[in-house]
Amino acid sequence: MHALRNIGFGPGPESKVHLYCVSGLAVASDLALPGLNGLEAGKATPDAFVRAGTVPEALDGASASGPTWQLAGKDFLLRIPGIARFLLHDGREITYEAEAGSDAADIPVFILGTVFGILLHQRKQIVLHASAVQVGGRAILFCGPSGAGKSSLAAALSQRGYPLLTDDICAISIDAQGVPTVHPDGRQLKLWTQAINRLDLGASRGARVRRQLEKFYVEPEGTRDEAVPLGAIYALFDARPPLEPGIEQPNAVEAALLLRRNAYRPMLVHRLGQRAGYFHAATTIANAAGIYSLTRRLDFADMPNVIGWLEQHWRGIGLMEKAA
Amino acid sequence: MRTIWLASYPKSGNTWFRMLLANLASDSDTPADINELPRRGHIASSREPFDHVTLLDSGLLTDDEIDSLRPLVHAELAQGNLDDEDNIDTEAPPVHFIKTHDAYTRTVTGEPLLAGRLGADGAILIVRDPRDVASSWANHQSCSLDDAITFMNSNNAEMSGGRRDRIFNQFRQILPGWSGYIESWLEQRDIPIHLVRYEDMKADTAMSLARALAFARYDVSLDAIKRAVRLADFTELQRQERAKGFREAPRAQRDGNFFRRGEAGAWREELTPEQVARIENEHAPMMRRLGYVPVTSGKRAISG
Repeated sequence: MHALRNIGFGPGPESKVHLYCVSGLAVASDLALPGLNGLEAGKATPDAFVRAGTVPEALDGASASGPTWQLAGKDFLLRIPGIARFLLHDGREITYEAEAGSDAADIPVFILGTVFGILLHQRKQIVLHASAVQVGGRAILFCGPSGAGKSSLAAALSQRGYPLLTDDICAISIDAQGVPTVHPDGRQLKLWTQAINRLDLGASRGARVRRQLEKFYVEPEGTRDEAVPLGAIYALFDARPPLEPGIEQPNAVEAALLLRRNAYRPMLVHRLGQRAGYFHAATTIANAAGIYSLTRRLDFADMPNVIGWLEQHWRGIGLMEKAA
Repeated sequence: MRTIWLASYPKSGNTWFRMLLANLASDSDTPADINELPRRGHIASSREPFDHVTLLDSGLLTDDEIDSLRPLVHAELAQGNLDDEDNIDTEAPPVHFIKTHDAYTRTVTGEPLLAGRLGADGAILIVRDPRDVASSWANHQSCSLDDAITFMNSNNAEMSGGRRDRIFNQFRQILPGWSGYIESWLEQRDIPIHLVRYEDMKADTAMSLARALAFARYDVSLDAIKRAVRLADFTELQRQERAKGFREAPRAQRDGNFFRRGEAGAWREELTPEQVARIENEHAPMMRRLGYVPVTSGKRAISG
């Protein structure tokens, strides 16, 4: 990690400021964010800032709220009881305050997940609950709710030589020519001990994600820094009746719904007025890349088969050379 | 929208009850598909609705942290704020029934886990003779009858908890023994309860269902109830499971028999006298309270 000093930032002259790339954004943070690649000082002007400060218990004039959050204009308040409160302003500024009795080491993983997810939505980006690898110069995304097997599949593909682009959260930009691209951020994988053992990744195991959890950062085999054009999106499903194992291409309406349901988080899409944006993105992505469902048994023993189906599918849709 | 919990210890007829409701909701003469029971939020311990309304990844929270947020989440969900479908309001039935195997417990700060009156308007508590539950639970868990009885006799058992090295698609559910579970619901004073005995459902399904629906203030004709009873007949559920599998069955059992016998009193053939005694020694007071007559004599109970 590269630390910046004294760029007029942070609570005191002794504080270190870290500069990271998060989903294509340069982010200056007074808190070390494990599992991210650092950026070199002076390489980029920060797009967003993370710093400690005072965060209110509630917002005045909230227009929408949930059990843990409030939205008021350009301000978004997230409260994780017993851990921390986060205030996000205008897609640029994140202020965090630890709750009484909390462990400061618990804060970064929530910043890297939900908090950045909200920030990216404030910036009107398309953000999916997805892990991604690179295949033949294209980004391949696997999306689904927590426990769907995104990280395990990305880890297994990374072991097979496909570089990891991102884990758990994936921002997509669509340029003026209508080309969707994915911004990697060199994030490490987060895997449960069960997955680490079953995938034989013990040697790559890093720090615990949180002290109380048997979930660890895992260094992937290879990563990428540059934006990568989107190749395909697979929504992951467990092969329970009546779903049969296999890869299918849903119709346009279903594809749009799949994309929105796999937003990080669908509630934000609705509350931040982005439904139309996701609908248009689904059309663009379906045309430029492809939206598919991948249904398989949620069983590590089946992983080699699943990778086999994927590689066959990638040959079929022209992402990989056909075998000689 | 009204929310009614369908609360039961596992293997007590909850799925059958939900199939009856599914057949009520449709006006066709084709039986409702066992794999079309509502897939999202069908059980109170589902991970997805929690993540949806909190914006959090519950996989990053401990069981206790999740439990401390659940009262807020259930209160939110009872408002109908799922927000993830375009037409949720127009298609929603008048009463939202949600299955739960959670005991009626309180969080460390003393709030009811299921949010009391804020979480639901009432609960239909389905109970079944524990001697029949035991063999059904053993089949469901692919474990021995003795292990099933040990689980039912434990006052600190739980489902989807205990292991911290992986993620479960449901939250930890506290099951303080068969008696403890039922007592937790019968003793709470937050919401009204309607008790349904599985054995009464078997004996007169239409009458049991009609009474439960009256409690839930779900207005439906007797003809519709009779049709639902016919369409959700146990042999029909078994037929569908054999033909297509049941998505809610345990993984080891996907091509097996979730809908196993569905009988009342089969324990007389399936349990040894010692197994019967182990259950009755632990649960006789609650069994008597619910009208399940223990058969173990005092002497055998002591030696068992």
